[in-house]
Amino acid sequence: MILPLPELPSFDYVCPKSYQQVSEMLLQPSVDARLFMGGTDVFVQMRDRTVASKVLVDVKHLPGMASIEYDHNVGLRLGAAVNLNRVAKHPEIIEYLPLLAEAANSVASYQLRNRATIGGNLCNASPAADTAPAILILEADLIVVGLNGERVIPANDFFLAPGETALERGELLKRIEIPAPPEGWKGKYLKLGRNAEGDLAIAGVAVLGFPDHTAESGYKFRIALSSVAPTPIRAFEAEEILCRGPINGERIEAAAIAAQDACQPIDDVRASGNYRKAMVKVLTRRGLGEVWAAVQ
Amino acid sequence: MAKHLISLTVNGVREYVEVPSNMTLLTLLRERLGLTGTKDGCSAGECGACTVLMNFEPVNACLTLAVEAEDAVILTVEGLLQDDRLDPVQKAIIDHGATQCGFCTPGILLSARALLDRNPSPNEWEIKDALRGNLCRCTGYLRIIRAIQEAASGGSDDRTS
Amino acid sequence: MTEPHKVPSPIGEKVTRVDALDKITGDAIFADDLKFGSDLLYGRVVRSPHPHALIKRIDTDKARALPGVKAVVTGEDTKNRIGLYLKDRYTFCRDRVRYVGDPVAGVIATSVEIAEAGCMLIEIEYQVLEPVLDPLQGIRDDAPLIHPDLEEYPVADFIFPQSGTNISNHFKVRKGDVESVWSDCKVIIERSFHIPHIQHAPIEPHVAIAQVDHTGRITLWGSSQSPFAQRNLIAESLGKSQRDVRVISPYVGGGFGSKAGVSMEALAVVMAQAVPGHPVKLRLTREEEFFCAFVRQGLVAKIKVGAATDGKLLAMKTEYYWDAGAYTEYGVNITRAAGYSSTGPYEIPNVWCDSYCVYTNHPVGGPMRGFGMPEIHWGIEQVMDLVAEELQMDKVEFRLRNCLRAGSITATGSEMHPIGLTECLTKSAQAIQWGTEEPASAPHKRRGKGIAIMWKAPAMPPNAGSSAWVRFNEDATIALSIGGQELGQGSHTVAVQMAAATLGVPMEWIHISGPVDTEYSPYEWQTVASRLTWSMGNAIVAAANDAREQILDLVAEQWDEDPHNLDIKDGQVISYRSEQALPLRNLVVYGLPKPDGSGWRGGPIIGHGNFMPTYVTSLDAETGQGERAVVHFTTGCQAVDLEVDTETGQITLLRVASAFDVGKAINPDQVRAQMEGGVVQGASTTILEHLQFEDGVPINPSFVDYRIASTVDTPEEIIPIIVEVPQDDGPWGARGIGEHSMVPTAPAIANAVANAVGLRILDLPLTAEKVFFALQQTGGAT
Repeated sequence: MILPLPELPSFDYVCPKSYQQVSEMLLQPSVDARLFMGGTDVFVQMRDRTVASKVLVDVKHLPGMASIEYDHNVGLRLGAAVNLNRVAKHPEIIEYLPLLAEAANSVASYQLRNRATIGGNLCNASPAADTAPAILILEADLIVVGLNGERVIPANDFFLAPGETALERGELLKRIEIPAPPEGWKGKYLKLGRNAEGDLAIAGVAVLGFPDHTAESGYKFRIALSSVAPTPIRAFEAEEILCRGPINGERIEAAAIAAQDACQPIDDVRASGNYRKAMVKVLTRRGLGEVWAAVQ
Repeated sequence: MAKHLISLTVNGVREYVEVPSNMTLLTLLRERLGLTGTKDGCSAGECGACTVLMNFEPVNACLTLAVEAEDAVILTVEGLLQDDRLDPVQKAIIDHGATQCGFCTPGILLSARALLDRNPSPNEWEIKDALRGNLCRCTGYLRIIRAIQEAASGGSDDRTS
Repeated sequence: MTEPHKVPSPIGEKVTRVDALDKITGDAIFADDLKFGSDLLYGRVVRSPHPHALIKRIDTDKARALPGVKAVVTGEDTKNRIGLYLKDRYTFCRDRVRYVGDPVAGVIATSVEIAEAGCMLIEIEYQVLEPVLDPLQGIRDDAPLIHPDLEEYPVADFIFPQSGTNISNHFKVRKGDVESVWSDCKVIIERSFHIPHIQHAPIEPHVAIAQVDHTGRITLWGSSQSPFAQRNLIAESLGKSQRDVRVISPYVGGGFGSKAGVSMEALAVVMAQAVPGHPVKLRLTREEEFFCAFVRQGLVAKIKVGAATDGKLLAMKTEYYWDAGAYTEYGVNITRAAGYSSTGPYEIPNVWCDSYCVYTNHPVGGPMRGFGMPEIHWGIEQVMDLVAEELQMDKVEFRLRNCLRAGSITATGSEMHPIGLTECLTKSAQAIQWGTEEPASAPHKRRGKGIAIMWKAPAMPPNAGSSAWVRFNEDATIALSIGGQELGQGSHTVAVQMAAATLGVPMEWIHISGPVDTEYSPYEWQTVASRLTWSMGNAIVAAANDAREQILDLVAEQWDEDPHNLDIKDGQVISYRSEQALPLRNLVVYGLPKPDGSGWRGGPIIGHGNFMPTYVTSLDAETGQGERAVVHFTTGCQAVDLEVDTETGQITLLRVASAFDVGKAINPDQVRAQMEGGVVQGASTTILEHLQFEDGVPINPSFVDYRIASTVDTPEEIIPIIVEVPQDDGPWGARGIGEHSMVPTAPAIANAVANAVGLRILDLPLTAEKVFFALQQTGGAT
């Protein structure tokens, strides 16, 4: 077995001033360059030898990367380099998007969240990323920028595989745009880890519900799961069930079972796939119960 | 490997150092500036023994590059003592017997100091939440929580006397 | 008349830790903080990727050629085996590797990065052998032999290796005749328990710096619980005199046994020998820490116990198969301690135990807080609960009926000294309202209460000794020299308390002369076994009394009085008869001028003292019986009140009452602190911790995946209870507590879970997943 390195390996740190420079650097064929923001994933990976880039490109300070703007009509525009504590503690996020604040606050520890960024959490694309379920059910758009300018990637199209996103070479995530959720909405992020708080998720469930007269039940729900599939996923069938008729214990249970069926968790050192499946059902049921009680 | 000339303020003292790209803030403090109070427990951001305040916020120094501390204001455990007076959290930790081997203590003190600076009256849950990134193997944490509660209520201020 | 007791004796008082200020200012120096000059070199170690293999070829040429690499060492550079109770280990492997992580080569270079790069350039050819990954596999006749030369290894005379096998110690207890009384038992319970490897996870990883001068003299700085044992074992293994090896250790950032004996420090010494004159620093990364130093042994325990109708235990038969790892130089004694403790703290007339220390190709099992006691009590206390259940007796009542008391005969046929175990039991039970069923906090939760008692003796050679010196400065402040290490347990503080109380001076006058340096410090066997307060304490009292006597003799002569009428109080010599008083300053260094001008009397006062138990007898190799197996036992009890979330399997600890008989609490607050820390570490090891392996390869060696308790995992309330039934030869009656406070936690939790949800889990850890699936199987999950 190869143990992690005792220290960070050698690399060159660069801090370009423009997005253009960053993309050019990333696209240079002869240079193994990689961007980073908080470093809390990248540095660990460099010690683990899974990342061996010779140039680390700091993009935290590029224009707009660390800004937070909320507007009632537009929603939230969140720079990719905003650290998770800022997300968790921002008064407008707490008031208008508490689900996102909750998810951000569930990560690791206070000191880690001062460095770890929301963009990093999403782009690292761990299946267990805590902010991913919230981004999915808030139906965010991820604005990425490359040499050809900006483009929009809907959250649902962003995560491709463990550690793999829809970002193309030379592109970086610039900001996350979260539309104002439907009127009267309530949401919750539940997470199960080994420690009572702060662990990587064995299973994570984000639930959002809002009144919608087009649904037979009068309500629509969105459910997203983390740590139980190769990527964070929406549980569309479970959501469907909750449209079809009056919301009650039975329907919630059926939705929870559908969420369980939607996931394909693996066995790993943290938990078995079977336990994860079982916990998806429990957390979905609990999340739906809480959101249902709050949204009526 | 690239080198960077940086200047930063550490415990109130302006420092000018040349650092290689891959040097962490932890290594800068311990080996270059001789401030060995901050400890290396895991080099992976898990144990919190390397917690320092960077621009008044706790960070894991083992996962922060020295070059990223350019122009930053850093507070380490050595900076808590001012004019020979203990910070209230230091005094409270002593009074409650809340340090044993002492290895996690510097990190705990800084996390606690930052907590009380942003939330002068935290409840028990808020204290536990703020300190869940500081692992301790000796004390069982309860005394640390009680000490921080006391420091918050102003009961242990060495400086007010 | 000078007021005699102006300063309260610090014994039994809450006093501030003497090391607290150092630790909260950042002044406290740990081994990695020591500064060396520009000649410091760095070491990195190449480790076996295989659990079991022969080394066919090592090619170090490319590594040696790398600029910045100063030397490379291999097994060629370690000629002799090393070990505490059994010499079974080469510092660098010579022909065979026996666990993933076994050191094969060391690179010494001008930077860590270059040393690591050098390691990557070493080419090694292995011939992979079939590994032994389970002690039950290891004892089979057809199992691969991990130590074919076992019978050649020097071994202590109380350890019994079985040559031609993987069994490095077989300890037996044969008391009475178990087979003859099973038929008299109303209830017989038989269960098997599996305990995985766990690790100490001190927040400070291992670090050692070694320097060898050009005459071959060695200096070793490190984070060590055992400077003198390290000196001794390393000197022996190198064929040197102890005079030529010097070990220095400052504060230890958590030990729990991981820094006892010799582990990675020997690597640093061998590496330093290759670059004379240069200090060489070797640090374990946290990932290496999890499996490249000591781990706690795993265990398969088979326990059969029987009780009569009246609830009295009649017979107990145990088989322990210790998953002891690749080298058992230390672990063999855990096997022995477990054997003579195999009954738990109960009086049982017929006892049979076979405790086997089995080599496996797992990391090296070594001392971890409790030294086998947490592992065996996991099974013992669950079995006792089951017996009580079958007898339909209250579990506290059952234990009160059977537990040891003064005069009880133990498993080794020795007589138990006075102990406060029953008081511990009743008080802990009371503290959580035992017998009262209390409601759970939610419909999907179940609440339960459980209790477990324990015993442990210091497990050490019968002649483990302590010594101390007391030296005065001119102003009568005092340098107290000891060889015991401050690991956080508070040993420095109680040392100062005991010296101050014996001498009759304020505590503030006394400072510990540190760090422990085998060149200047008095001998101390090791800081392990919860022995310092008792053993080192006795030495300190002897040294302080020695100094006191010299002072009183001197002043008595000066005053022409009988020294028996003199005393030292609050730093002054006083006479009860003549009511004179004389401060200690100056006279303790300069003596006293004779009143008639004819000269001086006295001189620099140095008090010395030692303590070594002399009464431990050997145990019969066949029966394990002996008159006095151990120096003494500390006993105690934990009672747990918890809730189980039946939907997730998660356990929430509500209250834990923790009662121990410490003989005399020299520093009650520190005793309570040990109890609190022990509960949390105990709970963490019960619910969260296990080293996981895949074909002998550790797969979770990091804090990311080896989880330990953080602030949010603590019980809501810990109730520490001090019981004091004095130990006849302890200072003020004191005996140890450091390890004991985490021994009964696991079975107490298991018993409470059983009470809550009606099912019993026999394997550690009690992860939420394990509890959940256990509930599912019995239909208890929702």
